[in-house]
Amino acid sequence: MSRARIAPFPALLIAFVVGAGLISPAASQTASAPTPKSGGVLNMMLREDLSQGFAIHETSTISTVWPAMPCFNNLVLFDPLKKTESVETIIGELAEKWSWQDNFRNLVFFLRKNVKWHDGQPFTSKDVKFTFDMLREAPDAPAKLRINPRKDWYANIEAIEAADPHTAVFRLKKPQPSLLLMLASGYTPIYAAHVPPATYRTACVGTGPFKVKEWRKGEFIEMVRNPDYFVKGRPYLDGLKYFVIVERGTRQAAIQAGKLDASFPGETTKTAAEQLKKAVPQLVITPFSQNVSDNIIMNVKKPPFDNPKVRLAVSHAIDRRALIQAVHQGGAVVGAASAPKPLGFWGLSEKDLMGLPGYAARPADEKALAKKLMGEVGFSPEKPLRVEIVTRAIAVYVDMASFVINELKQIGIDASLKQIETAQWHAMATRGDYQIGANLTGIGPDDPDANLYENYACGSPRNYSQYCSEEVMKMIDAQSQELDPKKRLTLNYAIQRKLEADAARPILDWKLDYFTVWPHVKNLIPHQSIYNFGRMQEVWSDK
Amino acid sequence: MKTYLAQRLVVALLTLLGMSAVIFALLRLAPGDIVDILFSTAGYVSPAEKQAIMKELGIDHPYWVHYLDWLRQIAVVDLGMSYRYDLLAWQLIKPLVPVTLELAALSILFAVLIGVPSGVVSAVRQDTALDYALRVFSLAGLSMPAFWLGMVIILGLVTWFAWIPPLSYVSPTENFKLHAVQFLLPALAVGYRSSALIMRITRSSLLEVMREDYIRTAWAKGQTGRVVIWRHALKNAMLPVVTIIGIEFAFLIGGLVVTETVFNLPGVARFLVQAILWRDYPVVQNLVMFIAIVVILSNLLVDMLYGVLDPRVRYGG
Repeated sequence: MSRARIAPFPALLIAFVVGAGLISPAASQTASAPTPKSGGVLNMMLREDLSQGFAIHETSTISTVWPAMPCFNNLVLFDPLKKTESVETIIGELAEKWSWQDNFRNLVFFLRKNVKWHDGQPFTSKDVKFTFDMLREAPDAPAKLRINPRKDWYANIEAIEAADPHTAVFRLKKPQPSLLLMLASGYTPIYAAHVPPATYRTACVGTGPFKVKEWRKGEFIEMVRNPDYFVKGRPYLDGLKYFVIVERGTRQAAIQAGKLDASFPGETTKTAAEQLKKAVPQLVITPFSQNVSDNIIMNVKKPPFDNPKVRLAVSHAIDRRALIQAVHQGGAVVGAASAPKPLGFWGLSEKDLMGLPGYAARPADEKALAKKLMGEVGFSPEKPLRVEIVTRAIAVYVDMASFVINELKQIGIDASLKQIETAQWHAMATRGDYQIGANLTGIGPDDPDANLYENYACGSPRNYSQYCSEEVMKMIDAQSQELDPKKRLTLNYAIQRKLEADAARPILDWKLDYFTVWPHVKNLIPHQSIYNFGRMQEVWSDK
Repeated sequence: MKTYLAQRLVVALLTLLGMSAVIFALLRLAPGDIVDILFSTAGYVSPAEKQAIMKELGIDHPYWVHYLDWLRQIAVVDLGMSYRYDLLAWQLIKPLVPVTLELAALSILFAVLIGVPSGVVSAVRQDTALDYALRVFSLAGLSMPAFWLGMVIILGLVTWFAWIPPLSYVSPTENFKLHAVQFLLPALAVGYRSSALIMRITRSSLLEVMREDYIRTAWAKGQTGRVVIWRHALKNAMLPVVTIIGIEFAFLIGGLVVTETVFNLPGVARFLVQAILWRDYPVVQNLVMFIAIVVILSNLLVDMLYGVLDPRVRYGG
């Protein structure tokens, strides 16, 4: 099994957040809290109702993954008690153990016995085969998903065999050690073979620690402890209740008043965290990476952004550090295609970024370079290039786009803002019906395969800029198959530098979340991806 | 009277038919549909898959087919299936209606209880300090948006009492006290604005009536102020006030969006906005039709009340 090293969470960041008064000593004690107690119900928030019920496989939004995760299990999962995810923090769930064979071409899972679905049916390797044949859209798959956003994750799977009821074998076309990380994501639950996939849009038949008791549409989701859960003594909590609260101010008031025990991942900005901490000093606030970046998408198939000089000029022009201060009040960090260290595992550190477009210490130098590039293609502040910059009609997008427009104006790009409704945004971006856009990208597991194939591979529907480089594709494939973790990391650094140098999708920043819980909430530890820590099996209440 | 009611019924049906066309057309003018939203939550779009889902949801037909289907469904009291929830639209709408009706009714009750007496006092004590104070109070109510007042109430409660109302609906049978608190606060926030309007209409209408000959006659006959104002003047001044109450009630059924959102009440208006964002046409169309029916019924009720308040009003020619 391949092993990657876990980056230590630097003392510097801890010093920063403690200094800023955002983290209480309790936060660092959470993982090593005293003997867990059983009982109690945790009240949590949702920003919107479930978009596709509990059908995690048919959606990408955290609004589904977060409340649906407790109903399910994966084969493997990132250890909920460890905040930095890597291959070393993967633990078994439905798989008791696993083994890489044939030089990382076969992945064998040895499944737990005596696991039951919430409807009492036994869990077997047939369910594993059913789930992944459906996900990779195998020719003989017994079911099909209505929407299948992560089909590409499983493109390397050649076949899945249910060798016996408790053994499942994944046969791969080529070695792919990172497949295990994708299997450990909250995006990868096992569905029951005897339940039609459409059922998950209205109900949930899982094997997970909690069963759905009631879903009152637009109001709340109530879950109760699964008494037949295969991990003895878990979950600790008797139940979970997720309240749908559309209004942000009400959500914040509810957590402040103690009506809610925990915030929603990706919900709490630095400013909101500071307000909460001031109002209720005992709240435990943990800054962590959302694994969501602000970025610029430029359609490389359409003039003038088919010209690398114009794309580079845009990248040079945007002062990332100023954007972080102005738009996020300091609640973000600079980084390239992967979330930067220490928040992520694969990203370039700030020091490594210094030589790349847009990251120089003196923004004026960057702007001068950008003007020079624009001048070479015939534009200047006096004779500007006029473009329409598109963005999604949501405040977080619009704020960032407005900042970008001001930056571009200084180098001879006169951009006007066009807000696109959510209903149209992805369709427009996938079709490439735009020239330049201000975008947000969320990534499931902090692993290059999940990120690079999805956002930078030729032909991927989420490669909105339609950037396609044969050289980069070879590098992406090479890192995917690389068995030596050190070499894989080095390859990824090289890919990130190349992507920034090509201005494929200039990354502006990686956003931080300030996850907030009351001190009695134990073992609810945010990871570096918001999509992976919602299982709630280990969470307990010290009330 | 019967002829009048029959005429009103026919007009109401024609209005609803016209409304249905407007609602249907306006909804389709908004860009995107449910399938775009579904793909949006998945972060990509596949034209081939989109077509298949449109077929599955039955939205791949021409608009006129959809419209006729909807009319047919209304005729047989079948509201269709929600695209988003894959449930009967009626199942979703049914629990929302009592929440909104109760909130609107309580708001109007507050508005009348505050607005009518303060309007009367303001008119009777015209140009006194009390009149000025009441007018400032009402102007403040008109100027202050209900959602803002609602948020101030929530923030005040959380700051001073570390408490906010329940986050989900509490039925009166489950806990009457909590239920009352849950509705009283938003009703006060909304009712204050409506009371300001009612107060101003009551005041101006009463001032006008107080200058009428029959009021002067009543004074000349030596009747007490209470009798003159409450029995003779106010009753005749109430016609425009009743009209405003009717309009306000009808407006509140669809206009409580922000209040329901701020207080997290699962009512019609909040759900309607979510349904619009999701292009969940069966839910949106039927909810808007429900609001239209309430508006028409409340107008009819107001017209009926005219006859009770003023015997000179006759129906049916």
